Amino acid sequence: MLIELKDVNKTYNNGQPLHVLKGIDLSIDKGEFVSIMGASGSGKSTLLNILGILDNYDTGEYYIDGRLIKGLSEKQAADYRNRLIGFIFQSFNIIGFKTAVENVELPLFYQGVSRSKRHEMAMEYLDRLGLADWATHYPNEMSGGQKQRVAIARALITKPKIILADEPTGALDSKTSEEVMQLLGRLNREEGVTIIVVTHESGVANCTDKIVHIKDGLIGRIEDNRMHRASVFGADTIMK
Amino acid sequence: MRFDIDSYREIADSLVRNRSRSLLTGFGVFWGIFMLLFLIGGGAGLKQLVTSNFEGFATNTTIMFANNTSKPWQGYKQGRAWDLNYTDVERMKQMVPELETVTPVISSWGQTAVNGTNSVNANVKCVAADYSKIEEPKLRFGRFINESDVAQERKVCVIGRRIYEGIFPEGGDPCGTFIKVGAVYYQVIGVDYNSGNISINGSADQAVVIPLSLGQKIFHKGTNIDLLCVTGKSGVRMSSLEDRMRQILARSHNFDPTDKQAVFMVNTEQMFALMDNLFTGLNFLIWLVGLGTILAGIIGVSNIMMVTVKERTTEIGIRRAIGATPRDILSQIILESIALTLVAGSLGIVFAVQMLRLTQTIVNHIPDMSGNFQISFWTAVAAVVLLSMLGVIAGLAPASRAMSIKPVDAMREE
Repeated sequence: MLIELKDVNKTYNNGQPLHVLKGIDLSIDKGEFVSIMGASGSGKSTLLNILGILDNYDTGEYYIDGRLIKGLSEKQAADYRNRLIGFIFQSFNIIGFKTAVENVELPLFYQGVSRSKRHEMAMEYLDRLGLADWATHYPNEMSGGQKQRVAIARALITKPKIILADEPTGALDSKTSEEVMQLLGRLNREEGVTIIVVTHESGVANCTDKIVHIKDGLIGRIEDNRMHRASVFGADTIMK
Repeated sequence: MRFDIDSYREIADSLVRNRSRSLLTGFGVFWGIFMLLFLIGGGAGLKQLVTSNFEGFATNTTIMFANNTSKPWQGYKQGRAWDLNYTDVERMKQMVPELETVTPVISSWGQTAVNGTNSVNANVKCVAADYSKIEEPKLRFGRFINESDVAQERKVCVIGRRIYEGIFPEGGDPCGTFIKVGAVYYQVIGVDYNSGNISINGSADQAVVIPLSLGQKIFHKGTNIDLLCVTGKSGVRMSSLEDRMRQILARSHNFDPTDKQAVFMVNTEQMFALMDNLFTGLNFLIWLVGLGTILAGIIGVSNIMMVTVKERTTEIGIRRAIGATPRDILSQIILESIALTLVAGSLGIVFAVQMLRLTQTIVNHIPDMSGNFQISFWTAVAAVVLLSMLGVIAGLAPASRAMSIKPVDAMREE
């Protein structure tokens, strides 16, 4: 198993204690294309933060590829995030004053890859996502779909074991949303990247092979969705 | 920490992105370092200007001359006039062993020195050979009065700079020429270029110096002398000898040994001490104002960096999410702070140097004024080092705030 969560609990102590995750058990295998679905407040964002080593959990165990992720130093956590995980965010989160190619290079900069090497690699990834012509453009000159593709290139460039996508289509229209989901699907099928998508849109979830429902801090149903029939509305397109 | 061209480009980018903000913040540092260096240079220059007035003057000298008594003593009324005389010289030498030089001076004011058709006002000073230990001559030509001149009453003279320029307008070595002062012709044996403004009985520029023995006869002084100049051996404080010297004079001239007005004593030691205190105070003020201004500038930088960090929470969060360690963020913020401080500060150094040069040019155009107002190279280097250190300090608080930003904050900010 690539990812294993055993009885993971998380409580926020902001004034009134809030028990968000109440014992999550979850296993995700290498090469899976999984979505985590739930209403807002169900704990799916917290789960994503824990999966992405962006946040700590209180009790339980979390393994990536057999490595226990617990009580890491900031430096170690940064290194794992850099090498094991690629992030795709709802609001793209690409840096506004850097060009597309500079944004894609950034994770390699923190790995200490030489300047020419990382530029070359960034160009290669942008080319694969059809953005070679936009390499020197700034994010405010690009459409939402293009920005998200830049973010995907940035997530892929370190060849991570897991891609974590937090509402990757939340800020996109239905056509672009579909394109992005197809792109993620293709990456999963052709390159075998493990992708975890967190969403509340059933159409988006329908594009993935496995749907994990989360409700009130607990894992509910786990649907096998290799036929992509989970959503009646999502059979052909993503409803907005 | 990872460093390459991009690190520097990023720093430059983020400073240029908020151009007016960086300019205004940088101006605080610029002005601070300018003030400090300009004041240091200006203070040093001023000190030079003032001390050049004391040039060539022994620092432990006391000059005394007779004044009317102010107290009655042994049947004499107060207000009695008396004179210093030759015996006082020998008496001082024998009774005060702490003294190195005891030398008398006779002077005559308002004379005219004439060479051919040129004439110039002059003061005649009659001195012994050891007078050169009191007021060191800076001889441009020839030599000073020596013991043979005094012993043989030679009609020779050493002339000051203004006299030389006045009566020898064509320049050249005047030694051997005869000039007329009053009714007597003297052979010029030296030209003294000492230009200090503190001097005994008139400035050295305007003096015609002749042998003492000759002056006594020409000016009908008998054994009386006008001034007694003494210098102490090294390590002797002249002020501690004043009472003893006054008592010696009082005994031989019959006045009250406690009568301070009867002998007028000028002690250069006190004047130098006064000057030193003045400039110590001035320096303290310079550093206080200069460092205060820099500090204000640095606080400005720190403040602005704080705002920048706040603004860039999302960006820093993204960087953390994709693998920047807290140390990467720390070095980025601190380097930005150093860059801002250093660039602004270096401009301040350049501006200060230029302004000091201008000041120096203007001051040195005033006749009789010359001083070096420029700061030294090492002062400038020290300023740069100080700036980088201040840059680090200014960056510390904002950087620690930036380090506390968690990657999740990036997503929450939206």
